[in-house]
Amino acid sequence: MAIAKTHIPRKFHDAVLKWRDVFLPDYGFLMDNWDRHFPREPRFEACAYRELGICDEIECGDLKGRPKFTRAADLDPEQAGHLLGAIRAQASTEFGSIQQHRLTLARAQDEKDQVWILRMMAEELRHGYQMLHLLLDDDWSCVSDTSGEQMVEEILSMTTGSHVLGAFNIDFDSFVDNATFCALIDRVGKYQLEMQRISAYRPFAESMPPMLREEAFHLAAGVVPLRRWMERAALGSHYITSADIQKVINKWLPRGLEMFGDERGGGTNVRYGLKPMKNAEAQDLYYREVEKLVRDLNMRFVRARLPELKLREAEAVLDEVVAERKAVQGIRWEDLVHLPHKHFFRRRGVPAFELTGWEGEAFADVDLYLAHLSAHLPDAYRASSDFRDYGEKLREVAAGETTAAEAAREMPALRRVGGACPCSKSVRWVAGNGTAGGAAEGPAAV
Amino acid sequence: MSDETAEVRIRPLQDTDLGDITGLDEKIAGEYRPDVWELRLGYYMRRDPDASLVAELDGAVVGFMLGEVRSGEFGLEEPTGWIEVMGVDPEVRGRSIGRRLAAAMLDYFRARGATTVRTLVDRDMEGIAQFFTALGFEPAGLTPFSKKLA
Ligand SMILES: CC(C)(COP(=O)(O)OP(=O)(O)OC[C@H]1O[C@@H](n2cnc3c(N)ncnc32)[C@H](O)[C@@H]1OP(=O)(O)O)[C@@H](O)C(=O)NCCC(=O)NCCS
Ligand SMILES: [Fe+2]
Ligand SMILES: [Fe+2]
Repeated sequence: MAIAKTHIPRKFHDAVLKWRDVFLPDYGFLMDNWDRHFPREPRFEACAYRELGICDEIECGDLKGRPKFTRAADLDPEQAGHLLGAIRAQASTEFGSIQQHRLTLARAQDEKDQVWILRMMAEELRHGYQMLHLLLDDDWSCVSDTSGEQMVEEILSMTTGSHVLGAFNIDFDSFVDNATFCALIDRVGKYQLEMQRISAYRPFAESMPPMLREEAFHLAAGVVPLRRWMERAALGSHYITSADIQKVINKWLPRGLEMFGDERGGGTNVRYGLKPMKNAEAQDLYYREVEKLVRDLNMRFVRARLPELKLREAEAVLDEVVAERKAVQGIRWEDLVHLPHKHFFRRRGVPAFELTGWEGEAFADVDLYLAHLSAHLPDAYRASSDFRDYGEKLREVAAGETTAAEAAREMPALRRVGGACPCSKSVRWVAGNGTAGGAAEGPAAV
Repeated sequence: MSDETAEVRIRPLQDTDLGDITGLDEKIAGEYRPDVWELRLGYYMRRDPDASLVAELDGAVVGFMLGEVRSGEFGLEEPTGWIEVMGVDPEVRGRSIGRRLAAAMLDYFRARGATTVRTLVDRDMEGIAQFFTALGFEPAGLTPFSKKLA
């Protein structure tokens, strides 16, 4: 594939490298060990890539068939304003989110897992760089009094992380979060990037394929350690058990589902030629994909525990344990991981503040429901302000003091602030309709 | 599975196909090699996630084909599509699934600017050679040489 590589002007490029030295201090370690961990793979480089030869025409919506826009000035002013907000917010969150993984990076038990997460973080830095490139490469004066240069300076001078995340951040509690986040939340990112590669704004669309190739690695940085942990758990390891993994899945999956936006929305993006699928459709594909991931993890467990079994026999054991909930050849239902119900622990979208249990069972009592959630979530997360805020809102909804829709609007949402790469790092907790970078992602609201 | 009218769908490879592909390989080669396939799929996904394909029959993965476009190899300067690894579930062979995978991959190679598609077939694997012949491939003017090092 033909790719154009560019750098942003020297002084901004240097500013990014300086930012990296401060916020990604392990970068040198990554590069020193690159060839050992990633032999034959091109070394990481801070630069912007544009995929050449993408589709020339707008691919869906009202302007379908017209040439894609190459300059912001040619867009409808409202669309251009939205796009600019999306790129700015995206840039700041890509940079800011690197700090989220940094919290627990040092706690990895395995150097390989750690270096993979580190590479993913460096690639998120490149995603930020990619967005800066979009800001500097076009003239945005049609929609903003702030010049591209000023916007970039603003983004790089933000000590992103702390103030953007504020009290609404869901912190990582252990390295299991790093991996599970990549496996589940970067997976949402993959969907969004995939959808945005049809964007009517050509430079944005051209930015997506290289980011998608990196995203494939981000998924692996999550799924590969999860597989190993399941295999080790099957052999009796006490370090990371399947119960630990289950609780972290329960913590993130509901947030991942909500990142697709309200199940009833998404039509406007399709009409604008910005995305090819409505929210519920994309969310459903995602949920099915996670179901497959869960089954794969369980197969790893079964085959590690019972290596003498052939494929068919192992599948039969897994099916029986899951369907009958009984121990088969020493493997119990609780030894495996399971997909939480789509309505479990939701605070946005159609099932917001429903008292729906992990297996889809209905609860009539808030206290019983909170006890149920407590039993299914990681201990450290239960002690977080995020969980407390949710619990308080849930009581208000149950007492009829507020509606679920109103409460949902007030809950911080793990949403893609902006439009570009919605993977791990572009994800921020934002309260209500507020946004970190000024660009609300419509579909995330109830 | 044996329903001749069942619907075949060809789609790009995804990371969650690993389990199914490992299973297909096990059916074909008789060995469970999850780590080999994890590495392999990782490579192709990272290089070009759209180039490699799987075939689904009624939603179940029954075949796969891995490949990519490269240039500059063996002195071949022009962009060349390479079909590198493939497999079809023995239970559904002979139903044009391999043919459809190849057709989709060739379309993709063309769209990527490749003017030639190449593959290497072990002389002992006669079925595969016949498969490619049926698809219009001809022996190329490159002779592979090898030498045992141990
Ligand atoms: C080769 C393979 C992919 C063919 O898949 P398939 O779905 O059965 O193939 P199709 O039904 O699409 O067949 C397409 C053509 O190839 C021919 N063909 C396929 N397998 C053949 C064989 N073993 N012998 C002779 N011809 C064969 C078919 O007759 C058909 O020709 P036609 O359309 O002119 O009638 C499959 O047999 C396979 O997976 N083999 C093992 C692969 C392997 O070992 N992989 C590991 C190393 S890469
Ligand atoms: Fe990213
Ligand atoms: Fe990512």
